Amino acid sequence: MKIEGSHTLQSARDSVFAALTDPNVLQKCIPGCEELEKTGDNQYKARLSAGVGTIKAVFTATVFMEEVRPPSHYKLVVEGKAQPGFVKGTGSLDLEEQDGGTLIKYTGEVNVGGMLASVGQRMLQATASMLAGRFFSALAAETKAKAIG
Amino acid sequence: MIPAQFDYIAAKSLDDALSLLAKHKDDAKLLAGGHSLIPAMKLRLMQPGVLIDISKIKDLSYIREEGGHVRIGALTTHYQIESSDLLRRICPLLPETATHLGDVQVRNRGTIGGSLAHADPAADWPAAILALDAELVVAGGKGERVIKAEDFFVELLTTALKPGEILREIRFAVPKGKVGQSYAKFRHPASGFAVVGVAVSLTKDGSGKCQSAGVGVTGVSAKPYKAKGVENALKGSALDGKSLSAAAAHAADGVEANADLFASAEYRKHLAEAYTRRALDAAVSRAGK
Repeated sequence: MKIEGSHTLQSARDSVFAALTDPNVLQKCIPGCEELEKTGDNQYKARLSAGVGTIKAVFTATVFMEEVRPPSHYKLVVEGKAQPGFVKGTGSLDLEEQDGGTLIKYTGEVNVGGMLASVGQRMLQATASMLAGRFFSALAAETKAKAIG
Repeated sequence: MIPAQFDYIAAKSLDDALSLLAKHKDDAKLLAGGHSLIPAMKLRLMQPGVLIDISKIKDLSYIREEGGHVRIGALTTHYQIESSDLLRRICPLLPETATHLGDVQVRNRGTIGGSLAHADPAADWPAAILALDAELVVAGGKGERVIKAEDFFVELLTTALKPGEILREIRFAVPKGKVGQSYAKFRHPASGFAVVGVAVSLTKDGSGKCQSAGVGVTGVSAKPYKAKGVENALKGSALDGKSLSAAAAHAADGVEANADLFASAEYRKHLAEAYTRRALDAAVSRAGK
């Protein structure tokens, strides 16, 4: 399943890029991320309690940052396994300066397998959009807070 | 699969249910008809530690007409609505919508309150209650509040209900005058859910023009919505073929349509328009009978 979109953040590009590659910020932005622990160069293990409404699954996940080219490009890969299924999401993010703020364009793919995919297929697109939206809202809040503080 | 282990408590009254919810918080789920909850629990997509059964609370199941309003208890089953002589007389949209819902077993056990609180993006009731501009009466620890139908659906599978609250009644003004109503649904051939479902409730004035119109749409987007573009185009119109086409064209205005293996977003938007037109045609032909 393809996902793509763009978000405009009010913070400067350098600080947005720094935030995106800061594991402490990432942990607050990745929806449901309860733990994010460095396991290697640009590699983390995570626990994600992700869901929609009252349907939640706890994912054991690995997060990779790839193609890190400050201040304009990087790729985030999240692979997670939960009891009802597994998810692999990749997102390429491109950052552009825009009116003192930052325009983030993202394209990516999300593959879901297991029961989540068979039972939940009709809601996957909407869920992916919603979670991506939450990621960027949290990122906007975090970068704004850093700029003020 | 079978559900993960859980405790079961049958609430004796609404107040009892409210205190049980306050006690167990996030760990508890309410059980009404169970036909959305139990399948999810069997798949272990939901794993509440405690089930609070409210299905045995008798005074939450009723269909009444009082002071120009219809009041339906949240625990009223789909079948009770489907077979209600009162509703067939004064608001046939609801019994008609019920006939499209699930299957016989689901209609016998499932409740309108449970279905609305679950907020499946392809459920049928949301379209009807949006078309009727219904109000939802919600009980909480600190008292009651009323939520308008159009404010009730927040996002995918999420309503405006706060933790600890229980939906107790659905109410709306009895449609008056030359009323025409209809629910048109494209039923998914396997699941029976609405790929698209459009509910219409409209009234004609003395000269045959549209006096008021309510249009609710389900299945198209992550949450059901009131098709205000259609409603505004209908008001004051002649309700002839030309004005109905023009109105239906607004069916998916400003809405992000769902995409899945069965139907693309573009196809859903097309279906939204087509089924809005069908529902309008039926409603108009029934108005003033």
